[in-house]
Amino acid sequence: MNSMDVRVVREKIEHINALPTIPKVLNRLLAVIENPRVSLNEISSFISSDPALTTKVLRMVNSPVYGFPGRISSVNQAVILLGLTVVKGLLLGVSVFELMQKTMTGLWEHSIGTALFARLIALRTGHREPDEVSVDGLLHDIGKVFLVLQFPEEYQRALTQTKEDGIIIHEAEKNHFSTTHASVGSWMARKWRFPTKLIDVIEYHHKPHLTKSTPVESAIVHIADILVRARGFGFPGDDLMTPVQPEAWDLLKLTDRDILEILEEAEDSLQITEDLTL
Amino acid sequence: MPKIAAGSLEPGMKTAKPVVNTSGMVLLGENAELTPELIDRIRNMEVDGVWIQGLSKPSVPMEDALGDLDRRFRLVAGQPHMDIIRKAVRKHIEGLYE
Repeated sequence: MNSMDVRVVREKIEHINALPTIPKVLNRLLAVIENPRVSLNEISSFISSDPALTTKVLRMVNSPVYGFPGRISSVNQAVILLGLTVVKGLLLGVSVFELMQKTMTGLWEHSIGTALFARLIALRTGHREPDEVSVDGLLHDIGKVFLVLQFPEEYQRALTQTKEDGIIIHEAEKNHFSTTHASVGSWMARKWRFPTKLIDVIEYHHKPHLTKSTPVESAIVHIADILVRARGFGFPGDDLMTPVQPEAWDLLKLTDRDILEILEEAEDSLQITEDLTL
Repeated sequence: MPKIAAGSLEPGMKTAKPVVNTSGMVLLGENAELTPELIDRIRNMEVDGVWIQGLSKPSVPMEDALGDLDRRFRLVAGQPHMDIIRKAVRKHIEGLYE
């Protein structure tokens, strides 16, 4: 089987903002997010100036994914409570929501489920920024959106291979693209100037033992991804389990009781999250 | 007893707890039967989910859910910690059907 040259993929990402497949609305948003000096006020105004975006952001922020159910009634309040990093990630999340739904059925549910589990694991392990980790979970598979949009036929072949050969999508991607959604996602994230930690987690969520800068966050998203798959919620590209990285498991020191309790905490929210259309 | 999202409500369902909007305001009491009009109103009013009577079991039969679970884990059986995870998920799924 001939694999695509990885340089072809990288080349497309270098010119990602000019790609016709990326919607204009997203481009405008990215211009705001990419600006390292953008202020909370500017972001707040940007969101507030678009009623559709305002609704989406508030719905997202009041969903179980962010843990403020029902308490946030204005964009300003959201922006102040969550902070710049989380709001930027959230903005991106609501913007790619439609793209995710168009490119892979079940990917949005998988992503939002991962955000939810990531937040619960972060809280349980005493992480100081559970909402940031939640954003990491939400966006960890963003590379898949790009690959499907840019190379739909090739990606379809990768998806078919997961079923025929019983391998996870990550492996099929390697076979077809010489790279994976983790690397692609991290290149996109870098191009769009996501926070450094988020770039790192996107890159390492399948190999959390290899990152020097975000071992904990990557481990959390790694395990959140596994739990969402185990629970059968959403569809990440295959219907199988990724084996857990033992170092990541040991780092977080989760017990079977922890897993059971996290599953219980997530259950109600999963139901609500499943119906979260923006 | 699961909470049902506004989008999934159906006429005839009965509330198991008061229906509250995201600001904490009570919109409807418990034990109320949902009519299409009430459902419409609930959908327009920022409700986080509604507790419904009687719906204690998920729609997928338990054997199917557990069968899917085992199939999913087949290739990773025996790998470190995966049996722990599988058992916890199994226990969790069984709990949903009690």
